[in-house]
Amino acid sequence: MDLILNTLTLTIRFSVALMIASMGEMFNQKAGIFNLGCEGIMTMGAFLGLLIPFSYGGAGSVPFGINLLGLLSGAAAGALMGLLFGIIVITFRAPQGIAGIGLQMFGVGLAGTLFRSYIGGSQSITGITAYPIPVLSKIPVVGQILFTHNPIIYICYALVPLAWFIIYKTPWGMKVRAVGTHPRAADSLGINVSRVRYQSLALGGAMAGFAGAFLTLCQAKMFTAEIINGRGFIAVALVYFGQWHPVKIFLGALLFTFAQVLQTQIQIFVPSFQYYEFLTMLPYILVIVVLAFNKESNKLGPAALGKPFNREMRI
Amino acid sequence: MKKAIAFLMIVALALTVAFAQGAQEEKKGDIKVALIVANTIDDKGWCQAMHDGIVEAMAEMPGKIADYKAVENTQPADTMTAIRTYVNLGYNIIIVHGSQYRAQVEDAAKEFPDVMFAFGTTSDVIAPNVFSYMPQSEETGYLSGIVAGLTTKKNKVALVGPIDGGDSARYNRGFVLGVQAVNPSAKIQVTHIGSFGDTVKSGEAAMAFIQGGADVLTGSSQQALGALRAVADFPNEEIWWVGQDIAQIDIEEGYKCIAASAYNYKAVVVGLVEKFEEGVLGGECLPMNFNNGGFVWAWNEAKCSDKITPEIKKAVEDKIAEFTATPDTLSNWSAVDYSTL
Repeated sequence: MDLILNTLTLTIRFSVALMIASMGEMFNQKAGIFNLGCEGIMTMGAFLGLLIPFSYGGAGSVPFGINLLGLLSGAAAGALMGLLFGIIVITFRAPQGIAGIGLQMFGVGLAGTLFRSYIGGSQSITGITAYPIPVLSKIPVVGQILFTHNPIIYICYALVPLAWFIIYKTPWGMKVRAVGTHPRAADSLGINVSRVRYQSLALGGAMAGFAGAFLTLCQAKMFTAEIINGRGFIAVALVYFGQWHPVKIFLGALLFTFAQVLQTQIQIFVPSFQYYEFLTMLPYILVIVVLAFNKESNKLGPAALGKPFNREMRI
Repeated sequence: MKKAIAFLMIVALALTVAFAQGAQEEKKGDIKVALIVANTIDDKGWCQAMHDGIVEAMAEMPGKIADYKAVENTQPADTMTAIRTYVNLGYNIIIVHGSQYRAQVEDAAKEFPDVMFAFGTTSDVIAPNVFSYMPQSEETGYLSGIVAGLTTKKNKVALVGPIDGGDSARYNRGFVLGVQAVNPSAKIQVTHIGSFGDTVKSGEAAMAFIQGGADVLTGSSQQALGALRAVADFPNEEIWWVGQDIAQIDIEEGYKCIAASAYNYKAVVVGLVEKFEEGVLGGECLPMNFNNGGFVWAWNEAKCSDKITPEIKKAVEDKIAEFTATPDTLSNWSAVDYSTL
């Protein structure tokens, strides 16, 4: 029972960064932009998430507002990087895959350089600590799983229905879907394709930056140059895994994290199983298997994904 | 136009030759050390230990090492580029610090037979111009195990490992032996996160252990910093850490670190310089243990004095005395089987 309880509690806690980054990537891809630079944006967000509170109070405790400022700075840096990516792939129409890899390297390199210049070696902070919700956290089983986390986690979970609402129930969400599906048709209806794509990249970048800052401030509570360690790419894969739908992406992030936590728990509680190498790759195998057997994915994706739009050209 | 270009090329070539010769004259007789690492030299773990050792060796032998440079965050695929660059710049002792670089070191040793390479960790002798080094970390792991086994109140201790190989494998198995020696009934839990540098995953693993009731944790390699950070998330609870690097005592989370061991790479670097001066470029394995000064141990008296009981202190110091007097006393370390824990 403890094993299940702990696994579920940790799944809720550790899935947030992936979920937010994937949700941001979903906004990019819904608008037709394939942003492989998510990893770099997350790293910059993670760096700023540390820089603000560290500059204020070093490794010691700082007011909640300062930590919040760190999270928002990460989001702001992410939005700026999203816009930079927009200049490259929307204005200059560079190939999105290559530009994304470039952005990833740029983000990781810049964050590492700034970190070394302004802070130095591996640095930890107090960050935002868990705050069990009174009364609710005392409910047997459910209380521990759902109500013993830090307050930012609850806000992040609220972003799932909000993202669904924005995409499917607002005029702007409809424009995003239109420019990602048939930009020429959207253009003919007076939608400024480039502007909507820029807006999506800014929002997606902000969410990726926020996710990076979340890792620094709420989970790892430290920064190292390779703190993201491939999570940005997993976030991109989860968008396909979740078929570009916010709720399915959320479930995908939960499932992936569940597999991650479970493999650790298997190592701990089933020591007779000696192939830890197999267990550590289990979550990734899961993603590959789901993608391989999900033949509908390609049909559900935005039709204009990865294709630059040039209104002066007929095709 | 062609004549002008040809003239400029000749001038450039002449200047290159002139400056190249000048540089060679300048470095004649000097020892220049280059370090290649997978992480950063301030990672409070594996890479920093070697960097600190080189810096300390330079201080101990003033003037002997004319220059020292470190190349950080180096992937195995980039290692040959770094090695060639430093060889061309006249560096004559190149320390390639990580077992993942073995193939590159073997190639480089053949290509540059006049350069001394140092490579760890392995106990194999690789080439006539390569010194391998192997920390016998089962000794430090054993001491950490003594501390953990005698400190635990819940009788459950845990270990966050990176990959089951190299000196981490030795430290981790030594830890198991140490716990079993002083507290045979203690439950020892082990996990490997599959990475040397993923501090986030390391923190997640430590959190899983703590949620599961472990109250003394340890970890090896630089990823362990994430686990220590997770332990520090429980400031008011009796959850403690035993470190594999003394640098972990001095950081903010150090108040959770009862004691720590460290590699004394200064002794290795001093040994390399002395061998280089004798004209011996390699062909040996340099073991590191308490007997030859390769390890140091430190208590966190300033922040954890109440956890350092006379019983723990005596048990550890008696064992250090034994290790110092006789090397290889834990030759059975590799027999530790995690599946039986």
